[in-house]
Amino acid sequence: MHHVVLEQWARRTGPVHALDPRVKLGVTLLFLIAIAAGPPLSVAQFAAYAGLLAGVVLAAGLPLGGVALRAGIVLPLAGAFAAVSWLAGDSHRGLTILLKSYLSVFAALTLVGTTPVARLFLGLKRLGVPASLVLVVQFVYRYLFVISEQVQHMRLAAKSRGALERAPRRYRLMVPAGAIAVLFARSYRRAEAVHHAMLARGFTGQIEAATPLRLGAADLVAGGAAAGVVLAVRFAF
Amino acid sequence: MHIPDGFLSTPIWAGLGAASLPAVGVLARRVQRELAESAVPRLGVMGAFVFAAQMINFPLAAGTSGHLVGSALLTYTLGPASAALVMSAVLILQALVFQDGGILALGANIFNMALGGVLAAHLSYQYLARSGIRGVGIFAGGALSVFVAGALALAELGLSGVRIPTAILGVSLSLLALNGLVEGALTLLLLRLLEGLNPRWVQMPEAVSRPALGILLIGGVLLVTGGVLVASTAPDSLEWLAEEIGLAERARNLLETPLADYQARFIAWPWLAQAAAGLAGLAAAFAASVAIGRALARRRRG
Repeated sequence: MHHVVLEQWARRTGPVHALDPRVKLGVTLLFLIAIAAGPPLSVAQFAAYAGLLAGVVLAAGLPLGGVALRAGIVLPLAGAFAAVSWLAGDSHRGLTILLKSYLSVFAALTLVGTTPVARLFLGLKRLGVPASLVLVVQFVYRYLFVISEQVQHMRLAAKSRGALERAPRRYRLMVPAGAIAVLFARSYRRAEAVHHAMLARGFTGQIEAATPLRLGAADLVAGGAAAGVVLAVRFAF
Repeated sequence: MHIPDGFLSTPIWAGLGAASLPAVGVLARRVQRELAESAVPRLGVMGAFVFAAQMINFPLAAGTSGHLVGSALLTYTLGPASAALVMSAVLILQALVFQDGGILALGANIFNMALGGVLAAHLSYQYLARSGIRGVGIFAGGALSVFVAGALALAELGLSGVRIPTAILGVSLSLLALNGLVEGALTLLLLRLLEGLNPRWVQMPEAVSRPALGILLIGGVLLVTGGVLVASTAPDSLEWLAEEIGLAERARNLLETPLADYQARFIAWPWLAQAAAGLAGLAAAFAASVAIGRALARRRRG
């Protein structure tokens, strides 16, 4: 699955992985803004941005083809809108949407492919995102897989009870509603159980990081250099 | 409905980001204050539930399939502030880790689905649910939460200059309406089931007013959304409308004193003026209808 591969990539070690997540978040944001706020991409500019991302991916030791392929996740939607723009007689805008959205997803993948999710969330918190929001995000991520697995189990159980692929018309909404209600009940109880277990173990409202973030000179130099290259590409082409 | 990066023009994503980020900050603080701080993980588990429930696909008419969006369900089970916070958290995770929706477009997506969707569900119930037609309030809340979010997304794309032919716009609006109806029916069914399982799980907003007002409010929202959609597909008419109301003139006058140097640039970007005028109009209309509704409700009670 998508996220499993991403997590495996993020767990590797290397110069890009070792950078402070705040620096990586900042540079990614700058990159995205440079693309989004810039004029329609010329071929040279697209190549320069893509080359920049490819350089980072290779330096991080990630498979370039894998990242490039995964960034294609946005192409169906972007392609549809490009086709719509083309139909409306604005083919240039269609192409711009296609190129810009592909590069943006590529950049986001480079960020999460080189940063373990826990470090990413910690970086967000240190950058001023409200702690309670980050805590909710952390728990969504933590229990997402547990509850998705429950959905798989429920699907299997329904199949083994002889559930039909297509329910008769009058039950068409009742069947998913029942499944979702069961899932809600189990999730709600799980939420309470988790909460009680955490309280019993001394949880006071915040998760402490095992290894706190430390912004070193190397981080600042690398971040500054990366930002400089992004700005150079933005204004030189 | 998740808008990726690269689709929205800078004034739109930046403007909506500037609107959404402080709103989420306020919500986060409010939830933290209202809930015991240590109860926040519970919200996270419920967010994971919504994420997983969105994966349950079921066939609809004519080969299409649907799934629960969940903002209305969360509004009626966790309360509006917690629901909006949980939906924001889900959207943040989807954008950062799952590349579903853009990072810069996060402000717009939070605005549409977490803030707009939850507000639509909350207000619909508040104004429509009197004892007799409680189900209507829930149904309308579910339906409008999806419809408003989708229509906002389409309007933002239109204001960003993505030209959508009328025929395709019609198809997307009908699909959106269908999804809205399904969400409404599903939310209603789910709340009935959940109330049967454990009444403690359901926290409905207080019904405040007459249904007529609710219908007026919802009609207003639909009219404004539709208006923005039409206007954004035909930018000339929006310009005409802005001229007619004198909005452009007033905006120019307002800008002249503090930002005299930028005025030329502002006018050289007619689309910026258009986008700003459209969004300001939408926000003003929505704020006005909420304010009028509150005032009328207060007078009725007092």
